[in-house]
Amino acid sequence: MTFDSYTIVITGLGGQGLISLLQILGNALMTNGYKVITAETHGLSQRGGRVTCFLRFGNRLSAPIPMIGSTDMIIATEKSCILDVLKYAKPNKSTKLIISTDEKKIINEDYPSEKYLLSVLHENSDNIYFVPATEIAENLVKNQKAANTVIMGYILRFLPLREEDLEESLKRQFSGENLDINLKALKEGHKLQLDLKLYNF
Amino acid sequence: MARIYNKIVKGNPGVERFFLGNEAIVRGGLESGLDVYTFYPGTPSSEVGEIFLEIFRDVGMKWVESSINEKVAIEVAGAAYARGATVMVGMKNVGLNVASDPLLALATTRPKNSNSALVIFVADDPQQHSSAVEMDSRNYLKLFKVPALEPSNPQECLEFTKRAFKISRELKLPVVLRTVTMVSHARSNVVIGEIKRSEIADDFDLSREVNVASRLYFLELKEDQIYSRMNQALEMSENSSLNRIENEDVKNEYELGIITSGVSYSYVREALDFLELKAPILKIGFINPLPEKLIASFLKRFKQIFVVEENDPYLETQVMAIAQKNGLNLKIYGKDPFSYSKETSLLPFVGELNPTKISLALIKITHIAPKIDLNQIEGKKYKILGRKPILCPGCPHRTTGYALQKAITKIKSKTGKEIYFYQDIGCYTLLAFPPISFANVKYCMGSSIALAQGVAQTNGSLNIAIIGDGTFFHSGIPALLNGIYNKAPILVLILDNGWIGMTGQQPHPGSDTRYYKEGNFKKGINLEEFLRGTGAYVSVIRHDEGNEKEYTARLKELIYEKGLDVLEKQNLHVIVVKDECIQEYIKRHKVRVRHIDVELCNNCGLCYSQFLCPAIYEKDDVAYINSSLCLGCGICEEICPNNAINREEL
Ligand SMILES: Cc1ncc(C[n+]2csc(CCOP(=O)(O)OP(=O)(O)O)c2C)c(N)n1
Ligand code: SF4
Ligand code: SF4
Repeated sequence: MTFDSYTIVITGLGGQGLISLLQILGNALMTNGYKVITAETHGLSQRGGRVTCFLRFGNRLSAPIPMIGSTDMIIATEKSCILDVLKYAKPNKSTKLIISTDEKKIINEDYPSEKYLLSVLHENSDNIYFVPATEIAENLVKNQKAANTVIMGYILRFLPLREEDLEESLKRQFSGENLDINLKALKEGHKLQLDLKLYNF
Repeated sequence: MARIYNKIVKGNPGVERFFLGNEAIVRGGLESGLDVYTFYPGTPSSEVGEIFLEIFRDVGMKWVESSINEKVAIEVAGAAYARGATVMVGMKNVGLNVASDPLLALATTRPKNSNSALVIFVADDPQQHSSAVEMDSRNYLKLFKVPALEPSNPQECLEFTKRAFKISRELKLPVVLRTVTMVSHARSNVVIGEIKRSEIADDFDLSREVNVASRLYFLELKEDQIYSRMNQALEMSENSSLNRIENEDVKNEYELGIITSGVSYSYVREALDFLELKAPILKIGFINPLPEKLIASFLKRFKQIFVVEENDPYLETQVMAIAQKNGLNLKIYGKDPFSYSKETSLLPFVGELNPTKISLALIKITHIAPKIDLNQIEGKKYKILGRKPILCPGCPHRTTGYALQKAITKIKSKTGKEIYFYQDIGCYTLLAFPPISFANVKYCMGSSIALAQGVAQTNGSLNIAIIGDGTFFHSGIPALLNGIYNKAPILVLILDNGWIGMTGQQPHPGSDTRYYKEGNFKKGINLEEFLRGTGAYVSVIRHDEGNEKEYTARLKELIYEKGLDVLEKQNLHVIVVKDECIQEYIKRHKVRVRHIDVELCNNCGLCYSQFLCPAIYEKDDVAYINSSLCLGCGICEEICPNNAINREEL
């Protein structure tokens, strides 16, 4: 795997801590010698609306927004949100889709069915990974806010980073009890096996 | 506290930091010997002010304030500039509208003090990610006739800020530093330089050069501004390294060159890579005045030019004029600015750009067949849930909206009158979305109270203005006084949550900073006393320690009663709802998470489908509270008809 230019799309809901995720990953990548750029939108969208962020790194500085059909990894911290960013997946189906099994339904709207979701995901990628990050965080540290850190631990295997790099980065972001929770969540995510066999494909 | 200081202030020159564009602007200010920063919060500009507010006493700056509004911010900054300080003032794009009146005069003045420098930081928000309107602030540059720089990434944010101060100090003109969301809120590697201490001289002279009160001096200064100082600025722009040609020597069969600036430049590079197209790029960093000679010499080399910029055709129309003036006959692509036609414009006036939009436009110009079919990808549609932004769990505005809805139903059924709502700008704007839908009209900050008057003075309905405390201080006060003086029969709800919530809980003149941020330095102005002094009918309701009991019911009754009074007696009533923004409240109080007793819950849905707290959800025919999300406001406990919601014991 080369990392001349690598792009991650992160999508989820406002208030889920996507910005911290970008900061922690970005900081660790910069410390490891990469040129990193992230794009975030703050403000209104921080409250429950859908948010899409980008993290890009490599040998030279990229634009904050990538081309559609050209990214390496897409992370959805809420399941249905993945549908909004599939246009960033490569047509050759090599983009990794990392999807939290967390479902945030909305009143009076039908949540996409499992069948529909799986069929469109398969249309777009041969590398689909579901992670029950919220459940893991809840069971492990009694705090669902650590779900993103579980995901961060999980994707470590795909990135040119070591667990210690992210630990350092977490220490810059959190302190006290919050730090402990997140360090635990990171380890747990990293330990998870690759294919969690959550669905019968 | 220490964390911000360590991140922004510490570190030796040459060290790399992972900075937000806005953090890089702060650092650029510190490296320019900044004395004063005044601002009014607004996304995506706010972090700059927040950081300065936190560190300024420790870094030895003279003064930093979150001003009452942008007009005052620029006036405070302007006088400090005249007096010899190195000053920056920050705001979002629409803030410049509010600041524009004093700025026009200020831009003309010519301070004597050699240290005087003023940078006006303005952050635009194409795509209105967090704005009520989309507005391209570059259009003001021609009006104010001031130099302007536009960085394209966080590293340039730092460098361009320093350049802006240099230019301002040299020319004695304010310099605009313009960013957009994708620059201010991009995060990237930034190599820092050396922090300079301010060298403000204490003697000063507020004399003729900065005094435009007299008609006599104004025209003289304006002449000097245009023919001398802007003329020098043009000279600088022509020779500036901020305007540079990239891929100078490459050739393509289309004889195509590209002119761009800011973040669009990075998208252009991405699009060219994608299409494997090589083309010289003129990247403009000094966006006013444009380097006419440089642009003309660039144009001369091509048959086709593509101008790439977001929103308005600010560069494009000027490039066209430069081509015409230099007798150049070439095709200029972009927005086809004079046609107002979607068919003929390759790039949109509306919304953000991205590499894909630019690639699609380049394909139209060159007919290159792309590696992947972009239109096919864009054409695929999936079932996407329409998620609207929502108020935080425990937000006081949700409670107010809930009580208001009950109160107006009661007023309507009693009087049969129509009720209209005039919304202002703040978190409570979200009450405008279904199912609550409290909005008939909304313009800009501070307009709700006057909008209500416009209808109330001509129609017998009940007209309710909903305005936050921050917005009331910003620009609601004149409208209220206007209504009181003109006896407008309106109901004004001031939602006093203590802070400017929407942009990240910055203080306003009513904020008591004792526990937060500015410590003991500032004591909030007593809103109640202030309002009583105006002669309006004023009621205040509080939701704080000791005032929790039946709060929602009391609020509903109060709105009902005063609403009727407005209709019957044609009075103007102000209700102040004092209930702190939960995001600040939880910094001082322990969160008492609520739980639902599943035995008692009969799934009436009131809490999750009518009150709509996002921490409450339904599963297997009962309601649950997500304890990671609940912020413990306690309102659900109050409104649950089955007494199924309880608090966690401390
Ligand atoms: C002229 C102008 N300046 C700044 C902003 C950014 N802005 C959006 S809402 C808001 C104020 C919100 O404060 P408040 O009225 O107290 O309501 P809250 O969000 O606290 O509920 C500001 C400053 C703006 N929209 N317009
Ligand atoms: S669950 Fe209840 S107490 Fe918690 S934030 Fe929502 S309404 Fe307030
Ligand atoms: S920031 Fe404060 S005022 Fe805004 S939605 Fe959240 S709790 Fe409400």
